Amino acid sequence: MTFFEDQLEQGIFQIGYCKNCNNTIWPPKEICQMCHGGINWKESMNVGKIVEFSKKDSMYFGLIEIDDKIRILGNISCSSEPKIGQSVKMKVSFHNKPHYSFIVENN
Amino acid sequence: MNKVAIVGTGQTKFSKEDGDIEKLLFESANICIQSTKNCVPNDIDGVLVSTNDNSKYMGAILSEMMGIQPRISHSIEHLCSSGTNAIISAYSYISSGLSDVVLVSGVESATNPGQVLEWDKSRGNFEHPIYWASMLTKSHKRKFHTTEEELAIVSAKNYKHAMDNPSAYSNEPRTISEVMNSKQITDDLRILDCSRSCSGSSSIILASEEKAKKITEQPIWITGIGQKTTSASFTKNILEEIKSTRIAADAAYKMANIEAKQIDVAEVHDAFSVCELMAISELRITSNEKSGEFVRNLFNTENRMINPRGGLIGAGHPLGATGISQTIEISNQLQGKSEKRQIPNTRTGLIHNMSAAGTSSSVMVLKN
Repeated sequence: MTFFEDQLEQGIFQIGYCKNCNNTIWPPKEICQMCHGGINWKESMNVGKIVEFSKKDSMYFGLIEIDDKIRILGNISCSSEPKIGQSVKMKVSFHNKPHYSFIVENN
Repeated sequence: MNKVAIVGTGQTKFSKEDGDIEKLLFESANICIQSTKNCVPNDIDGVLVSTNDNSKYMGAILSEMMGIQPRISHSIEHLCSSGTNAIISAYSYISSGLSDVVLVSGVESATNPGQVLEWDKSRGNFEHPIYWASMLTKSHKRKFHTTEEELAIVSAKNYKHAMDNPSAYSNEPRTISEVMNSKQITDDLRILDCSRSCSGSSSIILASEEKAKKITEQPIWITGIGQKTTSASFTKNILEEIKSTRIAADAAYKMANIEAKQIDVAEVHDAFSVCELMAISELRITSNEKSGEFVRNLFNTENRMINPRGGLIGAGHPLGATGISQTIEISNQLQGKSEKRQIPNTRTGLIHNMSAAGTSSSVMVLKN
């Protein structure tokens, strides 16, 4: 498992930043794609906004933008239809693959 | 640079059932060589195989099966646009003088591993293409007021075209209503909005100008090529755009010294119905706002200009073979050999093939 995946398993979403140029690294890699520098990891604020959403069966899923414009596909938990721009809290886990869940705040 | 022509084509029927990729490759390569007047295996000095299958050493294996001892042989994998990437590699070998005659064969089995890109951790457990396609579709509806009927017309049109394509996986007609009432996959996708992973193989022979004149009386010239990769991960995309296609198209038009309005016929990468609307806009054939109306007009007037073989939705999508099959269709159209699918007086055709939600695109312009 990679460091990113190991941290997900513990419920922590780590974001890589380049040690040299401070570029945000996403999806996770061990080197910066801009200057090939090393990475410093920092825990996400675990909040984001809904960019787009749809629904499969009874579950909403969508594209969420979190810290530093990182975009992620995940499921959306909410009691009514989500709205574009709505704030969400992020919960993460790892079971063979990353699982990202977003909970609509004040819903 | 030497000029490069298409001088032979061949393909198998596409199928929903699993297939033996070696048998399929041999079948399409054999039909391809038979399609030429004066080309024998010994004339071929390059063999490229395009596939997402995990099999090893397929360039050499196909060469041995065909009795060819080429200078150059290897496999090419680039997800859904493996086929055009292989053709463009062959073009490069010939135009640079490293090779004179190259056989390019694409193949896939229906259960190929190329549908999911595990590397892209930004997709989480939403790895399957239906999820990004739902995002693109919802966004297109929201931003450009595209209706579900307009999306269904893309599929109905392409299924209608595929009725006259003997290689298509299905020759059944699908009405707009059938598409709109087909099984719901997500709130924004029906099963008939989606292309289907298939088994199948397509082959093409490319040759230098000198060799082309010996092999065929109707060479089709590759006059424009554009390629662009913007990322590997879907979530870097702006949802309403396929930037890689726009950049690749502009490069191809510039190389061919043409404008989009000169395109008589095009095969575009309709992995999902929304992809056709987005592609024809990024190719500058129409605009995003008018793309639904544009396709409706094609359907109502029985104009086969876009995806005459049925596209990926109508013909099926054997990933490694798709780009080659698209190229065969445009080549046949420019030779006047498309029978019931023939569009009259075609001079200039275009192929658009892309991968992983449009993160990479290839565009080629062909002329007769």
